[in-house]
This record gives sequence, structure tokens and C-alpha cells, in this order.
Amino acid sequence: MIDQKYDITDYEKNIENKVYDIKDGDFFDAIVVGAGHAGCEACLALARTGQKTLIINLVRDNIAFLPCNPSIGGTAKGHIVCEVDALGGEMGKQADANTIQLRMLNMGKGPAVQSLRAQIDKTGYHRSMQKALETQENLYIYDGECTEVVVEDGKLKAVKTADGKTFGTKAVVLTTGVYLDSRTITGEIINASGPSGFPYAKGLTESLVKIGFDVRRFKTGTPPRIDGNTIDYTKFTRQDGDENIQTFSFLTKKAKPNVRCCWLGYTSEETKSIVMNNLDRAPMYSGVITGEGPRYCPSIESKFVRFSDKDRHQIFLEPETLDDNVIYVQGLSTSMPMDIQHKMVESIEGMEQSKILKYAYAIEYDCIDPLNLYPTLEFKKVKGIFCAGQINGTSGYEEAAGQGILAGINASLYLRGEEQLILKRNESYIGVLVDDLTTKGTNEPYRMMTSRAEFRLILRQDNADQRLTEIGRRVGLVDDERYNVFKEKMQQIEKLNEEILKTVPNSPKLKEYLDSIGEKMPTQATSLKNLLKRPAFSFVQANEHIGLVEGYSREVLTAVEINTKYSGYINMQRDQILHDQKLEEKKIPADMDYASLSGLRLEAREKLAKIKPLTVGMASRISGVNPADITVLLMYLK
Amino acid sequence: MNNSDSIVAISTGASSGAISIVRMSGKDCVSIADSLFVSISGDKPSSFVPRMLTLGTIKTESFNEQAMCVVFKGPKSYTGEDMVEFQCHGGTQIASGVMRECIAAGARIATNGEFTKRAFMNGKMSLASAEGMMDMINAESDAEVRAGYNLLSGSLSKLASSAQAELMDVLSEIEVSFDYPEETIEYITKAKVKERLVRLEAEISKVLATASAGKIIKSGINVLIVGKPNVGKSSLLNKLLDRERAIVTDIAGTTRDIIEDSFMLGDVKINLIDTAGIHDTADKVEKIGVDKAKSLMDQADIILFLIDSSRAYSKEDEEILTALKGKNYIVVKTKSDLNEKLNKTFENEIEISTLTGDGMENLKNKILELTNLSNIPADSIIITNERHKDALTRANKSLGRVIKNISADTLDLVSIDIKQAYIEVGEITGNTTSEDIIDQIFKKFCLGK
Repeated sequence: MIDQKYDITDYEKNIENKVYDIKDGDFFDAIVVGAGHAGCEACLALARTGQKTLIINLVRDNIAFLPCNPSIGGTAKGHIVCEVDALGGEMGKQADANTIQLRMLNMGKGPAVQSLRAQIDKTGYHRSMQKALETQENLYIYDGECTEVVVEDGKLKAVKTADGKTFGTKAVVLTTGVYLDSRTITGEIINASGPSGFPYAKGLTESLVKIGFDVRRFKTGTPPRIDGNTIDYTKFTRQDGDENIQTFSFLTKKAKPNVRCCWLGYTSEETKSIVMNNLDRAPMYSGVITGEGPRYCPSIESKFVRFSDKDRHQIFLEPETLDDNVIYVQGLSTSMPMDIQHKMVESIEGMEQSKILKYAYAIEYDCIDPLNLYPTLEFKKVKGIFCAGQINGTSGYEEAAGQGILAGINASLYLRGEEQLILKRNESYIGVLVDDLTTKGTNEPYRMMTSRAEFRLILRQDNADQRLTEIGRRVGLVDDERYNVFKEKMQQIEKLNEEILKTVPNSPKLKEYLDSIGEKMPTQATSLKNLLKRPAFSFVQANEHIGLVEGYSREVLTAVEINTKYSGYINMQRDQILHDQKLEEKKIPADMDYASLSGLRLEAREKLAKIKPLTVGMASRISGVNPADITVLLMYLK
Repeated sequence: MNNSDSIVAISTGASSGAISIVRMSGKDCVSIADSLFVSISGDKPSSFVPRMLTLGTIKTESFNEQAMCVVFKGPKSYTGEDMVEFQCHGGTQIASGVMRECIAAGARIATNGEFTKRAFMNGKMSLASAEGMMDMINAESDAEVRAGYNLLSGSLSKLASSAQAELMDVLSEIEVSFDYPEETIEYITKAKVKERLVRLEAEISKVLATASAGKIIKSGINVLIVGKPNVGKSSLLNKLLDRERAIVTDIAGTTRDIIEDSFMLGDVKINLIDTAGIHDTADKVEKIGVDKAKSLMDQADIILFLIDSSRAYSKEDEEILTALKGKNYIVVKTKSDLNEKLNKTFENEIEISTLTGDGMENLKNKILELTNLSNIPADSIIITNERHKDALTRANKSLGRVIKNISADTLDLVSIDIKQAYIEVGEITGNTTSEDIIDQIFKKFCLGK
């Protein structure tokens, strides 16, 4: 299939120049290991800021692959995609281009928690991201397995590959996903394998241990895939997408139309008894699986065991691609043997005749302790080594992309000799994510949730550009096109902020609109600003009905509306940020001797000495460091 | 922190008891003690068995004092550092002399609460315990000691923890609807949120209501004595204080200034304020006194309005009574031993005679009754600490905002105020992590793919 967007001759020329030219002993400014969602953002950020970058990846077929659910976004995750985009990243654009159904979650619950989620054509996404990498200037792809990161005398020198090549470099970004020494488990069958039958990476873990990383083993899983032609959809509730809603990328002009739908159903009581009667064959319970699994992504067997009072659980049928009719069964993640999987699927109403195309499996993999990293995502023990994505103990494509772009930016800043970027908790979800990882660590695959952010009314999807585009510009990742779009939007907002001060005459149309939302007419004509403060007043709808202002985009109307309507709470959160700033900015000397602070409890002393927080704010979030310890620290620093 | 400098203070305060204790803490305090104390057998403090009293002599510039000395080796001491205490004869002169000698040898005077602060810094006690300890040390009444003890033993912490648990539970119910909008969970309704928060607000209000009692326990209650000149205000003051504090004459207007003193009435510290007689006066000095009396009336907790029962009810009495409207006052008819010429009864009246002592017990009981302290059981939580009162007040303000706005506001805004209240209550215990809420979500709900 030829994509019209690309000039085929240019494309071939690029491939010729870059791919077939890589020889043993070549030097690259930076090398990225693994082309998943973290690796793609990292290598693009490096190459786009002028660094000659090599990305080493096992097979070209798994570039930006979606091995689990065929969707991008969702609560808090949608926010991260918008943030990656605002910084000049790729995920938002590619997700918009490959959307087959789009929904805005939490519509009625307020602007802070609204999140976009798109069902994605997963082969389309993989193909177009691959193309973005292949056509990127300064970027080279090497199909192979990285087996060693060479560090001599504490300095990063090179990386080696399984086929005996050595590439010199000054910076490395490790984005190995779930591929490190991974094994998949389906009942009694255990395979040394990456996800979805892809190869796995054998040698690298040993090298990482050698250079000082603390390595752990995590576990995750995926549900079975079903032939969509063998499902009786009349037994399911259809769920359609939303029309006319925003997109992930601030550059996408219009969302793709909804061309697929999802379906909602339930497991049956029979499913439960099949699972409960076969727990002795479930690797989770028979002791075969030892890795830490995520609480938010439990297998169906652990749901039945932990919540034994519930007789059924929800499942969600999601289309995987536009090319074929493969259905992902969200909610049915399991590592049960194949024969049990058949019985489980057939016990679901509407799936009695269903054919399994791919069996569910659990996957175990090596990852590092993120406490080994600074909040720049740089390794504490060796300069120039960065880590991002699932290797840091996270889960999710979006979490990976968010870390990937930050690691890429910082590797580039490191190479340029500039101060590295730390994203704050009060300016982005990526900041919350990285701060959590590097101060608290994690004992299970970490998933972003809106509950993790203290200032979520400030960290909205719609204002991600206002929070981050200037930063992206400063580090050299935001190009003129994006920057101009952003500048123009800001000017429009400024202009509209003036315009809403004007009085809206009391007209029959205004009354009509106010009646329709159950609001009273103002006793005397009032400003548009005052009207916007009414909870039910929608700027976009009112404008369509009454024609209040002209020449503004939907995004600009929404931005001004939110800022006006919620100014009280927004200011409250801003005050809180100012209040916290003192702690956040209070630096702790790098050579701080915590052992001599006997006022600290032993646990706090050990944690602080291990994590070496850069500021008192960071120290205050370390688990095992309590407010009394912080008081001791503050008194000492005074 | 064993590299800290040595501090010294007279631990028994400025009182004139039979003995005084001078206390030092810090890394050099034992060698400082070596330079000024010798036991009767000629040993220096550095060779003493820790935590054992030894008799000896303190040599100072102006006198030699026979005293006991005890050495504590850190961390087995109050502050966790090395400490030395001298027990010497009472009287501030001797103790001050010993303290000066310690300073000359390298110690410095401790700032207020510094011993306790060091104990906290060295991990010997928690923040809330340190606050409780400071309250107890500075306590002037039994009730105050008890309130300090309750804080120390954590009953307020327990209340705060249970309030936090409830807030966390409500929050996790709301948060799960944000982070898992598509699960088959029965999501919490706004009405339910409101109902639970109204209940919690009432509970916190109940504890907050003790804050005024807490203030009384801590600072005492201010009882103002007002009345026309020569009705016996100073006599009553002297009688209540049980000593001649004010000059009493039969010349009206003898007391021109404000006299303040305090005494213990059962558990409660009473700060008595005697005002100049209230009446129109041309005398400039007295005029200032009268104006002051009127402004004091606004600040007093209880006002004793004295009327001379041996004189007729006057226009001035009526004016004072009008000024007292809406205030917490007792009408005290004085000079009940003389012939009654007043012929008038009042609400809340007590008859007394400072000469015979008649009615004094009634008056004291009435004052106690008006403090409202009798309603509070001895073991209940009483807020005496401003920081705790402030935290709970702010928490209730946040809850009030939720309760008022919840029907119109979206849940994301509601959650901000609840989270705020959670953090504010958490200031008391120091427990404010959002990880707790997430743990709660996973404990309660079955979620995920």
C-alpha cells in the first residue's frame, strides 16, 4: 500500500543513504536501544535536534508495535499524549492519523479529568511510525540485537551487537520495553520470547548489571484475540465514538471519522467456575510466575480470586486493525492453558462459536529500578546513559512515549553541553510520572492515573501546549510550524480575554439559550465573562446559537471558557504551587551526609542516602521519609 | 546530632523552690562540667557512672556551692545528646551563678524549647509529641497538662486519622470514576458524597468547638470586673486573689489604672481584670481608665458587673447594663451585709459580701459554669494548639465549600476541595500522600483489563 503523503523516490533515497551504510566501528552521537514507543520518541528527539543517531531494534516489524490493546490515550494517558505532542513529539500526530474511533472520557465530570481515547489501527500506526523514522534526517536504523553497553573507567564508550559489531557513542538511551530476557507463559507452555512471538533480547541484562543497574523482574499480560467473524454481536452493547471532539496533536486540523465501534459484554457464571476449577493450572497460582504484576491490569483469574463476591466481569471488544477482523477482548487477560482459554471464551454469551486467533499469555521481563535514575532519566552511576519506558518499570504506550521524549531531549542536551530538563509535577503529567519513578520507585508496573497528579486542574489536555510548547522550543524540538500555530493561538486567547469583558445585550436569543440550560436571564445586561462563569453555560454552544464572538477556533473558545469558569480553583492551585515552591526549590547539597543526621529515622536515612534527592521537595515524596524527617532536614539546611 | 554546641538553662524556672536544677546538653557539656565540678572524693564528672547522682562542689567566681551532679551519655538522655544536670540550692541567685559559670566555660543559653527541639531532632520524639511536651512544660494548670497529655498520647492524632480515612474513602470513590470511567462499578453519587461530608463536617465542628475551651485551658479566661466607682471592685479582686492586690479606700475613683492578676479556680486559670470605675469623668487620668474599661468589655470572656446593694439603682448602672447586652455577664450585688436599698432583681444575679465572705462560693461556681468547661469530659479531645485548630478550621472550610457547591460543580472541582481537606487534616498527623488514595482504589474495586 503506497501512502500518498510520501514521495516514493525521496523515501527510497533516504533508506538507501541511511540504512545500508552502517558498518562495524561507526560512531554515532547517540544510540537508542529498542524502537517501541519510548525509543521512537527518543530517537526522533535526538535526530531532530541535530544529533547523528542510531536506533538498534530487533526486527523492523515491531517498530512502534501495539502488543496489547489497540488504543492510545485514556484517562491521564490522553494527557501524556498531548504533552508529548506539545513538546514536539510524534505519538499524537501518528495516533490522530490512525484513529478508527475516538471518544472523550469523563465528559460530564469536568475539564480536569477529560481524556481522549482513540481506537487505533495498529498495523497502520506501526507502518506510519516506521516511515517517520526511516525518513528522518540524522537517524539510522540497525536491525539487530544490542548485547552490551561498553563502559570503561566509568565512561560510556560504545555498544556492541549480537552479530559482533561495535558502535562508538557518547550517549545511550535504553528503551528495551518488555524484551529483556523475556518469556511468555500460557499455562504449561513457557517460551523464551518477546511479545506476540517477536524475538527477545538475551545478553543485555548481564551488561546492565555489570555497569551498576539494579535489575528486577516484572510481569504483565494480554488477553486472547478472536476472529471477529465468529462473534454474535447482538449479544453485546454497541459503543460508538464521539463526533466533533479535539485531537491529540495541536497540529491536526480535524479528527478522523469514526469507522469502527466497540462492544460491551460480560463473562458468565460458567466462566467463573471454569476459572475457579482450574486454578491449579494457572501459572499465577501454581508458582510458575514470580514477577510482579500490576494491580490495575489483573488477569481474569486474579479478578475472580480477589473479588470472589462478583459473579461476572465486564469485557470489551475492540477492533485491532482496518485490514482484518481481529478482535481484542479487553478484560480477559489470562495465562491459563490453551484448552481452558477455549472453554472460557466459549462460556461468554455471544462467543459460543468464537475462534481464538492468538492465545492470551503472561510475559515476564527484566527491568531496572528507576531509583537508579535522576529525574532527567539519566543513570546516576554513568553519565550519558538514559533509560525510558517499560525498562523503568512503567506500563503503557503513552507512559513510555512521555519518558522517551524526555530521555531523548536530555541525551541531546547532554551532548550539547547544556543543562538538562526536569519537568515539574505542576507543569506536566510526564513530570509527575518521572518524579514518582525517581523518588518513590515502583514495585509493580507503574500506570499513570489522574489521581497521581496534585494539580490536575492545571494539567489539562487542552492546555498542554500552553504548559510545554515553550519548553519544547527552548530545547530545539518545536519547529517553526508548531511554534507559529501555538503563538497564534495564544494571541487569539489574549484577544478573546479582552473581548469577553464586553456587555452582552439581553436578547430573545440569549433568553432562549439560557432557558435551554435551565439558567435565569440576568436582571440587567451583563458581561460575557460573567455569563461564562455560570456552570452550565457552554461557550461553543452559546456562540453557535447567539453569535457572541467571531473568528475564534473551538480550542480558543474552550481555553478562555475554562480559564474564566474555573478561575477560583485554578488560582487556588496556583497558590498551592507557589506555597510548595519553597520546598521544591530548596536544593540539597550533592555531598549531603545523611548518616550524621541522627534525627532522621533509620529508614529515612537509608532511603535518602540511596536516592540522593536533588531538592527537599523530592525528598518529601520519598516513601519512608515522613514529615518529621523533612522538618529535621529543613532545620539542618537552615 | 552529636556535633551540636552545648546549651544551658535553669530547668526549674524562676521559682523559688528548695532546689534548682541547671541543665546542659551538647557534645562539650561533660568537659564543661569537668571544669567546674569536683566530687567529694575528688573525681570529675567525666568519670561518673551515667545516670547516677554524685555529691560535690561547684566552684564559681563568687561562691562555692555544694551540689549534686548527674551525667547522661547520649543517646540515653532526654535530648539524645550528652547531658549534665546540677541540683543546687534553691533561689535564683545560686542557679544563675552556676549557669553563668557554665557559659564562661563554653555553653550558651538555650532558646525557648531548645531541649525539646533537640530531642525531636535526634529522633527521641515525634512532632506531635514534641508539641504536646512543649504545651505541658508551659502549662499553668492541671487541665492544660491534661490536654497536653492527650495530644502527647495521640487522641487528636486518632481523630485526625479517622477523619482522613473517611475523606480518603470518599475520594477514592470519586477518583475511581475518573480513572476507570467504563467499569461496571456503582459510582458514588453527588448526594452520597454530600451526605458523608456533612456528617464529617459536624464531627470536626464538635472538636473545633472545644478550641475555645482549649484556649481557656491554655491562656485562662479573662474575667472583667466593671461597675460604678466605689461599688467594691477592688475588694472583690483582693478577695478572689486572696491577697491585697489593689488599694481599697472608700474614696470613689481610687483605682485609676487597670489591675490584672490571675488565680486558679479549680482546674481553670482565671485572669482577673479590675477596671477603673465607669462613670463620666472630667479627670483626665481617670478618663483614660474608663475608656479602656469599655474596650476591655468587648474582649472579656466573662464580665462581673458590680452593683452596690446598699445604694439606689442609678442612671450609670442602667447605662452599664445596656452596654452589657449580649455579653457573657453576671450581676454581682455587693455589700449584702449592709441594708438593702437597691430593691431590684436581675437575671444571672449573685449576692456577695466581701467583708463576711457570703456568696463567694456561689460566685465562683457561677463563673465556672459560664466557662462551659464543665460540659467537657476530662478525657475528651481539647484543642489547645493553634496549629491544630487552624488545620481543622481550614479543613472544615474546604468541606463547607463542597457541601455548598456540589450540586452545581463538576466532580473534578469537588475532588479538589476534598483533597484539600484531606491534606489539611493530615497536617496534624503529617500524613498526606496520594499513594494512599490509589492503594484504596485498588483495595476496594476490581478494575482493569
